[in-house]
Amino acid sequence: MPFSLHFSPTPLITAPSPLSKPSFLVPYYHTLHAPKSPLCFSMEHALTHQGKQEAFDLRPEDSQTLPLGLRRDAMPSHVAVIMDGNRRWARLRDLPVRSGYEAGVESLRKIVEICCKWGIKVLSVFAFSSDNWFRPKVEVEFLMSLFERGMQEDTGIFFRENIRISVIGDLTKLPKALQELMVNLEEATKNNTLFQLIVAVSYSGHYDVVQACQRLALKAKCGLIEPSDINVSLMEQELETNCTEFPHPDLLIRTSGEFRISNFMLWQLAYTELYFAQSLWPDFGEAEFLKALLAFQQRQRRYGV
Amino acid sequence: MDFAKLKRRLYYWIHQIVNILLRLMWHLLHVTIHLCYFAINIANALESHLISKGLLRRYKSLHISKLQYLAIVIESEDCRTLNVIELLQWLADLGVKHVCLYDMEGILKKSKDFILEKFDGATLFQENDVLLDQPLMTLEFASFSDGKEAVAKAANVLFMKYLKSGSTSSYQGEQIFTESQMGEALKTVGGNGPEPDLLLVYGPARCHLGFPAWRIRYTEIQHMGPLKSMKYGSLIKAIYKFTMVQQNYGK
Repeated sequence: MPFSLHFSPTPLITAPSPLSKPSFLVPYYHTLHAPKSPLCFSMEHALTHQGKQEAFDLRPEDSQTLPLGLRRDAMPSHVAVIMDGNRRWARLRDLPVRSGYEAGVESLRKIVEICCKWGIKVLSVFAFSSDNWFRPKVEVEFLMSLFERGMQEDTGIFFRENIRISVIGDLTKLPKALQELMVNLEEATKNNTLFQLIVAVSYSGHYDVVQACQRLALKAKCGLIEPSDINVSLMEQELETNCTEFPHPDLLIRTSGEFRISNFMLWQLAYTELYFAQSLWPDFGEAEFLKALLAFQQRQRRYGV
Repeated sequence: MDFAKLKRRLYYWIHQIVNILLRLMWHLLHVTIHLCYFAINIANALESHLISKGLLRRYKSLHISKLQYLAIVIESEDCRTLNVIELLQWLADLGVKHVCLYDMEGILKKSKDFILEKFDGATLFQENDVLLDQPLMTLEFASFSDGKEAVAKAANVLFMKYLKSGSTSSYQGEQIFTESQMGEALKTVGGNGPEPDLLLVYGPARCHLGFPAWRIRYTEIQHMGPLKSMKYGSLIKAIYKFTMVQQNYGK
């Protein structure tokens, strides 16, 4: 006789009822939830004698794809990740730094798979910051070759799994071959709809804001907009994250125990839940990701309302 | 009795017993988890108490000079002026010299005069103030209009300068603005203060609620919980943690 158990745990933070007043400041509004009663329990009888079967409480797809405790209706649409700790991971194991980065790529692959499975629509990853250009030349060259190799190797997966790739950042600083590869991959996958992976390379939040101002200035100069039209809303449209339906991350995860956002998506993170994980990025797996999502789902977020 | 009937009854009772046992186990699990979190909260409260009494050696000497500029984000709903004044008093006692108070709706800005009157250990931060040691704490008050709206105004300023310069560049690849120009434009519109070293978030959600984004590139962010539950020991712990951080700035 198979038994199945389904539960949603009681909250550790009590959430008061959400306010209903809309605000012009709020891009969108999440309804907060009071979690359901602690126990939803169902049991399947295998009374083959009478051929009776009790119905499960679970939807079949939920029992297969979502871990216990996660609610599909409260999943974040867009998760951003600062993949920190690759070098430290390698040093702790007396390995060369490149091993850390390679392990980081594997970790990213696993997280992408999990996101697809759990219904997260967009994952943004901070792969290479504008400040990282100051790292040793050998390390930077290795990273560029790693990006190239990774994108080439996974092209088949992107098509097979219906994954759209977008790259944001100042691509002019990248090697020409890598620039071409990225542009071609973006173009080739632009109609994929299941999941979007945004890779931030040679990116910084400051750069994003400045390039948005630049685009607006050029538009105003060409007469497409009036200078007096330049406002918060127009700025948002010109940021590099306009490549996605969900430009504002709901959840930011930074690994390796550092408590800062290091110039990543500064504008976009105004209302983003910040989760700082202690583990290093190559060790950040399904269990840690689940913890981050559970913390997100339990947090009370008002978006300034 | 019919054997089949007996078998069905037996199955039924086994199901009932297993059902009850599973429910019991489930409730036990819940109780255990709640007890664990209760114990953790008690431990945190005790630690906070010991820190505030100066009984934990580690927190006795803070390298407060490392904290040049502190920002505090408060959820507008939680803005209790008396709590804010108490918090400022704690910060003054710790030797923090420059503080920025932010809430999205500008409630603290509106109460600025009241706060400065009640907390006589502070002066208003002037934009051209340099972060030097001063006898009195400097206070800056910020709201949403100093964040994204200020950047939009700065974009306008940049554009007007660009038009006046008569530049002929018309394709998007060319860089016509730089980050330092943006910084200058923000200063012009009154939206560019110092970059905080540490940002403390008092509110239910762990997010910075639109604090001027341009200024928090490398800012350490600590979530402190609701303002009404603020503890002196937690404040010391947060500042201590900050002073122990080493930043590479991407290098």
